[in-house]
Parts: sequence; C-alpha cells; structure tokens
Amino acid sequence: MDRVVFESVRKVFRHRPALFNWLGRERGGETVALKDLSFSASAGEVLVLLGPNGSGKTTALKLISTMLLPDAGTVSVAGFDTLRDGGLVRQQVGIAVATERSFFPRLSARENLEFFAALDDVPRRERSQRIEEVLRDTALAGQADTLVMKFSSGMYQRLGIARALVKRPAVLLLDEPTRSLDAATTAHFWSTTRALAEQKTTILLATHNFAEAAAIGDRILLLQAGELLADRPIRGDESMEELRAFYFRMTGEVDEAAGMMQRTGRVS
Amino acid sequence: MKSALEKLHAILRRDLLTAIRHRTGFAITALGLLTQLAAFYFLSRAIGPGFRPGGVEYFPFLLVGTGVYTFFVMTTQAFLSTVQEAQQTGTMEVLMTTSTPPAQLVVLSSISAFAGNLVSLGLYLAAGVALFRAPIHANALSCLAVLFLSLAIAMALGIAAATIQITFQKGSALLWLLSSGVWFLSGAMFPIESLPRPLALVAHAIPLTYSVEGMRMALLQGQSVLAMAPTLGALAGFSLALLPLTLWGLSLSLRRARQNGTLSFY
Repeated sequence: MDRVVFESVRKVFRHRPALFNWLGRERGGETVALKDLSFSASAGEVLVLLGPNGSGKTTALKLISTMLLPDAGTVSVAGFDTLRDGGLVRQQVGIAVATERSFFPRLSARENLEFFAALDDVPRRERSQRIEEVLRDTALAGQADTLVMKFSSGMYQRLGIARALVKRPAVLLLDEPTRSLDAATTAHFWSTTRALAEQKTTILLATHNFAEAAAIGDRILLLQAGELLADRPIRGDESMEELRAFYFRMTGEVDEAAGMMQRTGRVS
Repeated sequence: MKSALEKLHAILRRDLLTAIRHRTGFAITALGLLTQLAAFYFLSRAIGPGFRPGGVEYFPFLLVGTGVYTFFVMTTQAFLSTVQEAQQTGTMEVLMTTSTPPAQLVVLSSISAFAGNLVSLGLYLAAGVALFRAPIHANALSCLAVLFLSLAIAMALGIAAATIQITFQKGSALLWLLSSGVWFLSGAMFPIESLPRPLALVAHAIPLTYSVEGMRMALLQGQSVLAMAPTLGALAGFSLALLPLTLWGLSLSLRRARQNGTLSFY
C-alpha cells in the first residue's frame, strides 16, 4: 500500500499588499507553487525530489507535514487526509527542515530533544535511550550537553535530523539534509537513511546533490515550476553524472559546471 | 491525562531552564518591580492618609491594583513573546508538526507563562507587605476564586494576542491597548468611580476591572465568597464567554496560516 499519496494537488501562495499601501507600489498577486501534482511513495522507499529553486520541493514536503494545506486535490499519509485528519498525519511524520534555527537556544541539544520527544508522545521510559541513539546517529553525542546557541550551522542541521528521527516516524521528510554537513557526517547520514528505509520507513528527500540522490535514492521525482517533469526509478548502478545529465536534459537548464570542468581538463 | 501532564512538565522545564539561563533579564525584572513598589509607596505618602479609596489605605490599594494589572500585562506579553520567538526562530512550524494538538500546546504554554508571573505577583505582594508594611486581611478562599477566574481571563487575553499575531503579525497591538488604554480604566491606580460616567460604563465592560476589584476585596478586606458573588459572577461570565471564543479564533487562525503558508511570518 502507498504510504504517501498526492492526488492532483495544487498549492497557490497569494500575496496581499500591505494594509496601508499609500504609494500603491506594492501589488497583490499569486505564485502557483504546485500544479496538479500527483505521485505516491510506498513503505521503505527513498523518494528523491529534485528540481531547481522554486520548483515546489519544499512545498511538497510541507504539505505532507501539514505545515501547509492544499488548495485543491488531496494529500494523504498512511490513509489519513491532511485536511481532515491532521492530528493523525502528524503522528506518522517527522520533518527536518532546511532552515535549522528552530530550536530553543538556551537549552542543550539533549534538552531540546527531550522537549520535542515529549510533545511527540515518545514514551517516557524509551525517551533517554532513543535520544542517545539519535545523538549517536547524527554524531552529536559529544555535544549533547552544549547549549544549542553555541552550535554551528552543520550542528544545527544534524540536530534537526535527530529531532525528526527521535519519534521514529513512518514517513521521514528531509529538506536538503546534508547541505552544511562535512564529508564524513554526510556519509554516515546516508548509511543511516538507507538503514531506516530497510526498516520500512518511507523517506522523501529534497536535494540538489546528485551524489546524494544516486547514493540513497530508489526513485526520482523531478519538479520544475510546480510541475512534475519525471517520475522514474534510479538504477542500482546509476552514477551521479548520469543523474546530472538526466536532470539538465529534462529541465533544459544549462550545465555551466560541466563546461567549466571540460575546459579545465578535469573531465574528458 | 498522563500524556498532557508529561507535556506540561516538558514545557515548564523548558521555560524554567531558559529563565534561569537568562539571569540578567531576571535580575532587571526584579529590580524594576522593587523600584515600582518604592515609587508607589512614596506616591501614597505624598497624597497623605486622608485618601482611602474603598475604605482602604492608598498604598495597599495601589499594591494590589498594580500587582494584578501587571500580572495581566506580563502574562499577555509572555504569551505573545513565546509566539513571536517561535515565528522568528522557526520553531512555530516545527511545533505545529508535533503530535500535540495546537490548542493543547497553547493552553499548556499558557500555564507555564502563568506559573512564572504568578510567582512574580506573589513576590511583588510579599515585598509590599514585608518592606513597606502594607496591611493585608486576606480571605484565602475568595483569593483563590478570584485568582482562578482571573487566570482563565488572562489565558483568553494571551490567546487573543497570539491569534492577532498569527493572523496579522501585530499581536503587540493588544498589548499596547492593555498598557495604554486599559490601565486607567481598570481601576488599578484609582477608583473607577472618579471617572466620568461614560468612561465608568466602559470600565465595567472590561474583565480586568473585576479582577482588580475582586482581588482587593479578597486580599485587603477579607470578604467572603458569598459577599463577593456579583464580582465573582462577572468574572465567571467573562471567562465562560472569552475562553471558548478565543480558542476557536486561534484554531481558525492556525488553519488559515497553514493554508496561506504564513505560520512563520512575523
């Protein structure tokens, strides 16, 4: 059974001019973030959302988490509709968002995780053990008792992932999870993600990193300007260069990096 | 129930740890309250012992009036700051994706805001009695009744400020109204009988007026619950009307913010 289902989902952001728009320069308008998007993801699948900035990747993740609600169409998680059964959907979903400052700065990493674990109904007797586990998985065990106000961007990002994992969600949403991570932590994170998928967690990963997509993805969803350009599996032996070429061919964007690398002789 | 208590414990712990680690802010607030007390003491001395509003000395009249008023303003402010901070740091969106229903989260957070400000109110009154010898003749049961009903109204005010913040990003407007317009109508500093009749009528439509009046009756005159029935009835009426209304408004504003993608707008 599909665990996450989008059916003809449309999401529009409307911009209202300021209440006292004396000079009349500010205009109202709307941005169509998703246009009749349909797809599904099954248990244990790692679905990679690729696409240029503004293509609707984050909007899709936020719709699953119920941070946003659809304007048309339906989003359902484990059979629960996000509009009608938001509370039940939230029990199934963990999200690590890209802008990772969303913690209480004067609490330590452990205290922040304890706080969110309590709100996520993680049983009290399991809380400490689960927190230790996720701190280890995100390489934060050494900084568990440091106030998060002293954290670097990468540490914030790792803590965001830890927070999403601590509730052991059936659906894990990751928005550019390795953007600020060093190489070793990234590699460790990839293996953690694959292990979670083996345990039947559905993972939706929005990224710009082709190596990441090739390393852990089962399927690609390629979006552009809110529309679905492609929905296809990633072959076991597919390289990041092949994914990259596919991306640029489908989106019609110019791969300037490839040209530069050829000119400098770094690739043939 | 057990789960709600565990969540309340988590929220209280978060706020206590944050307050303790904000030592400078805590010290400045305590100093501000002491300065305010001293100013009221000397003001009442300057006015002289002849002025006895409602038959009580002016300093204890001020002490209770300003204590209750400050409790309302500080609680609303604490509530609003929590929402604004959550919007600025991005915790708002994440909190709204936890398994805790938003209304429960707000009510539990409000209890935490009350706990801190109740301690401040207690310390403020105790300092007024201990340092400036304000005479107190309390009826404990009446005090508790006024406090309980005032808490419900303060919660409704806090929720209203949070709703305005989420909907229009201008929750501070309600705070401004409380601190600029309502203070002189609430009878915190002088009896509302001294106001012109139209303003006195407006004052009687403000729940804060009944909280201030009720606390004075319970704390300074030792009146029984029965004797205070009209005041307690008014407070109960305001609580029963405002609390469900503001909770409904909040859930509506949260749904609208999810629809418009403005949960984190500030």
